Amino acid sequence: MESGNHQTLLNEGAARLLARASDSRSLARESLVPRITAAVEKYLLRHDPNTPQAEISKFIDEMQADDLCLIIACERGDENAWNDLVERFTATVRSAARSASSNEDAAEDLAQSIWAELYGLRTKKDGMPASKLAYYSGRGSLAGWLRAVVAQLAVDVFRKQSRLVQTEEDADLDRLARDANIGEGQPALAGIATPEESMSNRFAQNDMQQALNRAVQELAAEDRLLVKLYYFDNLRLREVGAVLGVHEATASRRLTRIQTDLRKRVAKILIDERGWTQAETEKSFAEVAQHLDTDLEGLLTKERV
Amino acid sequence: MRQETNNEMDLLLRRLGRQDTAAPDDHLDADELNSYAENALPPAARVRYTEHLAECARCRDLVVQLSSSAGVLVAQETAKVSEPSWLSKFLASLFSPMVLRYAVPALGLVIVAAIGVVVLRNEGTVNYAPVAERREEAQPAQGRVAVTQPSSSPEETRPGFTDTAKSVNKSAAPDNTGAATGAAAPPPPNAAPIVSITTEVQDAAKKVEQQRADTKEAPAPKPTPTTEDLKKADADERKQPAENAVVVANEPAAEKAKSQETKAATDAAAASPASARSRDDTSLSALGGVATRRARREDAGEKDQDEAVIRTVAGRRFRKQGNVWIDTDHSSSRVVTSVARGSEQYRALVADEPSIKQIADALDGEIIVVWKGRAYRIR
Repeated sequence: MESGNHQTLLNEGAARLLARASDSRSLARESLVPRITAAVEKYLLRHDPNTPQAEISKFIDEMQADDLCLIIACERGDENAWNDLVERFTATVRSAARSASSNEDAAEDLAQSIWAELYGLRTKKDGMPASKLAYYSGRGSLAGWLRAVVAQLAVDVFRKQSRLVQTEEDADLDRLARDANIGEGQPALAGIATPEESMSNRFAQNDMQQALNRAVQELAAEDRLLVKLYYFDNLRLREVGAVLGVHEATASRRLTRIQTDLRKRVAKILIDERGWTQAETEKSFAEVAQHLDTDLEGLLTKERV
Repeated sequence: MRQETNNEMDLLLRRLGRQDTAAPDDHLDADELNSYAENALPPAARVRYTEHLAECARCRDLVVQLSSSAGVLVAQETAKVSEPSWLSKFLASLFSPMVLRYAVPALGLVIVAAIGVVVLRNEGTVNYAPVAERREEAQPAQGRVAVTQPSSSPEETRPGFTDTAKSVNKSAAPDNTGAATGAAAPPPPNAAPIVSITTEVQDAAKKVEQQRADTKEAPAPKPTPTTEDLKKADADERKQPAENAVVVANEPAAEKAKSQETKAATDAAAASPASARSRDDTSLSALGGVATRRARREDAGEKDQDEAVIRTVAGRRFRKQGNVWIDTDHSSSRVVTSVARGSEQYRALVADEPSIKQIADALDGEIIVVWKGRAYRIR
């Protein structure tokens, strides 16, 4: 796209956006153009430099006109705009802070930190406050963006604590698994398997696990995200659907299809690259699954005790 | 067999999920996370961020939080499918054989009955004044104030309602239009019932008043402004026997009402001519305003009916369809996000948009509200 055309498109888009806003806060078109340009660059041109003009216009027309005007007015030092921002979104920030905090005091601290970040306590080289408001593109809602800012800050603040908790949980699981094996005197299936069989099982498990790992990595991005959300993050299908923008029934159907695809892909890797036969593959699937099932049951039983 | 194979894969994937995975160093910023969660990204950008999310547990976690907070739990796909299906279901149910066989004839009967009720009510309203005049013609010598109160609640029709004190108290209520007669003070303007009086009544009342004045037996005139007189009048009211008490014709049966009205009017004229005179002034003006008030009441009734169907809250207009309040700006093609009252999504939504809480508080039951281009179904 030619630079002149591009600029015209952005100028026109800014004018339309101002016209759409119920309160344009006396902003001039020129004050919006840099922000719109940045958003178009970030979400369109970076991913597709040849994005058609119509798509750029549509993108601008879908931006949150009122929220963007409010934020730009705040950045420009409009006291009324800042008061409106605080008045309208105090409840949002507090609610997000509560969700991300373990107690009321921590939530209050977090909310105050957010307002300080938004106001911009530091100053930039040009003397303007270095506010987080500069990062709001106007693409999503301002309330959602504030929630995201709160959530990110909460993650930063509580990351260390969360990691400690996670490590502790992992250690518990490892200990439970070890105790289960020690308690039995032997590995879970060792009671019914010879040493050769046990070793063979272990190799089969490793092969299968590696093949599965690869198959998952080769999935399409959205399918891989679905698998991660469901199996790694332990979300319910409803929540998975919310992230992916589909109904839980659709998420469920997709998951079933992915399981089938993965099984085929794992079998193909084992047969083509590891020299397994079809029968061996089928048998190993059943055995490995049974082994894992026993592992989980053992862990759960120990955990209850 | 298929279920079995899926179970095996399910177990294998769960095992895989427990393994630690390396997270990328760079993360999505707040704007990208929010735009992803709100499904507001252009397709190319969305694919790119999906790639990142598939590998980054931290960003995934944030997107999950934001998705649930934003109340985007119902996907576009569902909404697009569910809205037409709701419409088609409704249409299908409308023309189902059962409906056509039973509901349509029943509906016809209801409509006929409703028309009958409306016609009868109209006739009653139109013929009211002539009926009152005919009654007066039948008893020309008796001063009479016909007080008719449409019975609107069981409480008003209960026995013993003719007690003076109760009548006065009740007359203060806006919906109780049973104004006092007899020795009672003139009714407040906002509680005036349909009052009908003729000039003969006035003459009769004046005559009786004069007789009473001559014999100095007349009680203190009610409308006089002195407090002593008012007190005396109150005392007189309390002492009056039952036949002099205020009679409010509140029975629905016409005959009973008629007899009570006649009795009340006779007693009132005989016992308290001065107050009758004062009342006459009020009644005369009330007579002129009967038609106006009746028209107002009819208008108010119509408005009530309209308000029962359409309400405006927080600048949005809602039409009631069944048990659902539907925003008049809502169209079936619009994507609807379901939010349960009291849920985390609901709290997040009303925190962001307090006006939606105002709407949800004002309207009971299910609501479909269109807010900032989005439709929310609040249950």
